[in-house]
Amino acid sequence: MANWIPLWLHKLGSPPIFYRFAGTLRPWALALALLLGAAALYGGLVLAPADYQQGDAYRIIFIHVPSAWMSLFVYGVMAVASFIALVWRIKLAEVVAMESAPIGAAFTFITLVTGSLWGKPMWGTWWTWDARLTSELVLLFLYLGVIGLYHSFEDRRQGARAAAFLAIIGIINVPIVHFSVNWWNTLHQGSTVRILGPSKMSGDMLWPLLTMMAATKFYYIASLFGRVRTDLLAMESGKDWVRQIAEEEAKS
Amino acid sequence: MSQAPLAPACAALLRRDLTLAWRRRGDIAMPVLYALIVVTLFPFALGPEDALLQRIAGGVVLVTVLLAMLLALDAMFRSDIEDGSLEQLVLAPQPLALMLGMKILAHWLTTALPLIVIAPLLAGMLHLPAAVMPVMLLALLLATPLLSLLGAILVALTAGTRRSGMLLALMLLPLCVPVVIFAAGAVAAAQQGLPWLAPIAWLGAALALALVLAPLACAAALRIALDA
Repeated sequence: MANWIPLWLHKLGSPPIFYRFAGTLRPWALALALLLGAAALYGGLVLAPADYQQGDAYRIIFIHVPSAWMSLFVYGVMAVASFIALVWRIKLAEVVAMESAPIGAAFTFITLVTGSLWGKPMWGTWWTWDARLTSELVLLFLYLGVIGLYHSFEDRRQGARAAAFLAIIGIINVPIVHFSVNWWNTLHQGSTVRILGPSKMSGDMLWPLLTMMAATKFYYIASLFGRVRTDLLAMESGKDWVRQIAEEEAKS
Repeated sequence: MSQAPLAPACAALLRRDLTLAWRRRGDIAMPVLYALIVVTLFPFALGPEDALLQRIAGGVVLVTVLLAMLLALDAMFRSDIEDGSLEQLVLAPQPLALMLGMKILAHWLTTALPLIVIAPLLAGMLHLPAAVMPVMLLALLLATPLLSLLGAILVALTAGTRRSGMLLALMLLPLCVPVVIFAAGAVAAAQQGLPWLAPIAWLGAALALALVLAPLACAAALRIALDA
């Protein structure tokens, strides 16, 4: 009945079709990301009231929390794409997995930096060996390992497959690290500071947060599509469709 | 082609790797020497107070052993890649995972075992109480094979690349965080007179899991890395 969906997905896996598809979608995703991001920043930095305890310093969560969500989300996308790449050897999945890694690493880095900036006035320290901070740091190392392994191979597809394998090992490892770090911290009974829980949050603080979350998602799509398009051109540089695109560019 | 039975093939591979290691005895001594040097440097950096050294002894010995193993990890498959015998192993009729398991065992025997033998000396230099020593050795006996197995997967992944010692360290760090936490946790608990069986049991469980899965993952990784 509805077999156009698998058919469409199947077609989308072909580099030239995805190239055009991503090219059409990318400006819209980028525009949405900028619009939503600007709205969320206005809502978060200007409209939302100051926190009764933390004053204005809490406003960094409008960057920090969406970045933290994205750092995990992108890793999930990367692991799923890696699995598809290894099992079905789809070229596009390899490219998506490998081009997700630097974006995810950037989000993780932003999370760590903003968290550290917030921690200085709130906890009185740039860094504490809290379970969640440590897990996030380990996540950054996982991303860097994947990127490093990908680039250490001469052959890009081989490097992509090896790094995809590492990404899958990593996603098994993330819960283990999180669990063990939790256990470690409770054993040592370190500082009693806790990351601000957004559970009880008033609406005028919540909507900028959720809007920013949507903005980061769209930014990820836009950034990923841009990177994938470039990568596809480089990878398929010997193919006919790339030559056609190059000739059209040369004419105009 | 007559297919060699499994047990003699495993024994032959183990004997070959151990003979090769024995012919180059100097290489076995290097990680031990490295661990000795690192542990010697700690009192110079931190001061010779007994109380401080006693408190950090367990952790320092564990991390030193880990780093020494990392130093030797790079060489696990290197000579076999250079002379092409690893490709022969991949082509052999015996299951690759089992053969790699034997290679990992040989590597553990030649690098980790000497480190475990010297660990009481290292701990003694830092005044670790004698009562804690058995717990530390037990933790090391469970943690080092785990590190060898996890490290082997990563070494196999980098088999097709240029020299990549630093990359190996970067990739191993996230994997060895839980191992270090539990091994050091057991030693610290024993030192404080607390029950230390739980982290040891976790290490044992992880080792049982890794013994089964890591050689398979190692074989898959090697096939990816050598598939040119």
